[in-house]
Amino acid sequence: MTGAHEAAATAVIFGIDPTWFSVSLFTLTYLLIITERLNRAIVSLTAACLMILGGVISQQAAFEGVDFNTLGLLTGMMLIVGVSKNSGMFQYVAIWAAKRVNASPWGILLVLTSVTAAFSALLDNVTTVLLIAPVTLLITESLRISPYPYLFAEIFAANIGGAATLIGDPPNIMIGSATGLDFNQFLFNMAPIAVVVFFLTLIPIYFIWGRKLHAEDKYRQRVMAYDEGSSITDPRLLKQSLFVLALVMTGFIFAHHIHLQPATIAMSGAALLLVITHLPLDTQAQSRSVEKAFNEIEWTTIFFFIGLFIVVYAVETTGALEQLAHGILDLTAGDRTITAMAIIWVSAIASSIVDNIPFVATMIPLIMSMGDAFGGAENLEPLWWSLALGSCLGGNGSLVGASANLIVAGFADRSGHPIRFLPFMLMAFPLMLLSILVSSVYVWWRYL
Amino acid sequence: MVIDRNLAVTNDEGNPQELAIMFAESIMDPAPTSLKPTHKIRAAAECIMEKRYRAVPVIDDDGTYLGVFGVNCLLRQVIPRAAIIEDGLDNLAFVNETLADLHQRFREIEDKPVSFCMTQDAPTVHPDTPLVETLLVLYRNKSSLPVIERETGKLVGMISYWDVGEKILES
Repeated sequence: MTGAHEAAATAVIFGIDPTWFSVSLFTLTYLLIITERLNRAIVSLTAACLMILGGVISQQAAFEGVDFNTLGLLTGMMLIVGVSKNSGMFQYVAIWAAKRVNASPWGILLVLTSVTAAFSALLDNVTTVLLIAPVTLLITESLRISPYPYLFAEIFAANIGGAATLIGDPPNIMIGSATGLDFNQFLFNMAPIAVVVFFLTLIPIYFIWGRKLHAEDKYRQRVMAYDEGSSITDPRLLKQSLFVLALVMTGFIFAHHIHLQPATIAMSGAALLLVITHLPLDTQAQSRSVEKAFNEIEWTTIFFFIGLFIVVYAVETTGALEQLAHGILDLTAGDRTITAMAIIWVSAIASSIVDNIPFVATMIPLIMSMGDAFGGAENLEPLWWSLALGSCLGGNGSLVGASANLIVAGFADRSGHPIRFLPFMLMAFPLMLLSILVSSVYVWWRYL
Repeated sequence: MVIDRNLAVTNDEGNPQELAIMFAESIMDPAPTSLKPTHKIRAAAECIMEKRYRAVPVIDDDGTYLGVFGVNCLLRQVIPRAAIIEDGLDNLAFVNETLADLHQRFREIEDKPVSFCMTQDAPTVHPDTPLVETLLVLYRNKSSLPVIERETGKLVGMISYWDVGEKILES
């Protein structure tokens, strides 16, 4: 019996078998999240409470199931980005990059997607698109061209960039936290294939839209007349933010040597940024500013995670996930190559249709329990990279595949250039499959 | 017509005292300038510029209220949309555009109907909305308020800062 099994409470409500109770509740939770009838945070929190009230696990055991490293890393980065973005640095970089290519429409698409991918890798992809999409709309409005190809490409760039690092996308944060794979390991294993997939994706985008993009010279001059320096609204905050971001990135790179977890590094960075930005303020201004900074944390996402961790842990305690893992191993005949390929393709298809966070939360304990079958946890690495690639890149398959997609679609809608579900999927799904095909070859070639 | 509802209240000595409550209808202009949704934006813009109106109600042939057209509608058409939409850019200090650029943007929409850019969700009040509540809506809206008949949805008047100011000074 594993530690997780021991965490199971003894008495289950109404005498129902705990495995049946937890698996039924887990399935219902998944269905409700997919239908989006009820907000996902409400669904996961309610299910978590029902797991405890139903007697599947005790409150103490439930708290043990919550991965505070993931929560700390997410919260810390949300705080840092939330404070930094007020400096105007994201707009500065986007405009500066657009001017470097003489405001040529295809050049702008290239640089804006590159900026999106880079920021998504180093910060998080949701915040990145929240800040880059409005600049994109402004530039395309000035050039008198449709923003559609730009927004489409930025969705892909955000998810591909997010896949490249430990902190880029929530699935990677969860995988890193559960397995101990650090920032550098993600960088060395995920970034190379992310770069390949990024440029590969741009080829069909060029042939579909890029080669036809054209803007009159007088409109390009409008973009060239932008003064990127004026987009910096708070130079002092910019310096402070860049300093803290550099420290945090250095911390992530040397985390293994300094024996620090990613959550500690992100939270320390957030605390430092709050200290240096609030020291000069009086008490009242501090209160207002701190409240604003903490409002930048996406609390619904955080509580969604908390509930989800408890729900998955409760199912894990009953041994149901271990049984499922054995079932999968029977199907793949215990072959690591087939298992890795199954994980990458199933993750990709699933993540393009449903939220990848609950999927990855379920897959983590499931893959963990395959350790013995493959001769130890150290042999599971190809499976982790398969899960990370499948779940991050799979998000590109449809408009609902990732949060970043929905945010960009929202901007497109409000700007009068809506991105419709089916037309997007008709273009995006084959492109996503192409990226997964290339990733599969990469995993097979490098690890199997 | 002034609607007064007489309430019996007592003063400090406990004697009955009558209190006259006023409503939106008491302070509105019952015959405001209005526009039709088919009017061209250029004509509507000239109308509000000439009379220095902040907002003019838009009504159909039956007098049913449809929305308001005002200075904000015009600004919305000449400011880059990327800054106006929800979660859009919070500053445009880096954009260097001339009056000619803005004029060009206006020319592109001047022949479109007023319905193209009128505001349909502007706050409104009813004739029987209490005076203080009306003033609060006016204060928050920072623009003239259409007064709409509750049952029919027809426009029965407009309330501007000037109407309110005059009434207060008169009293």
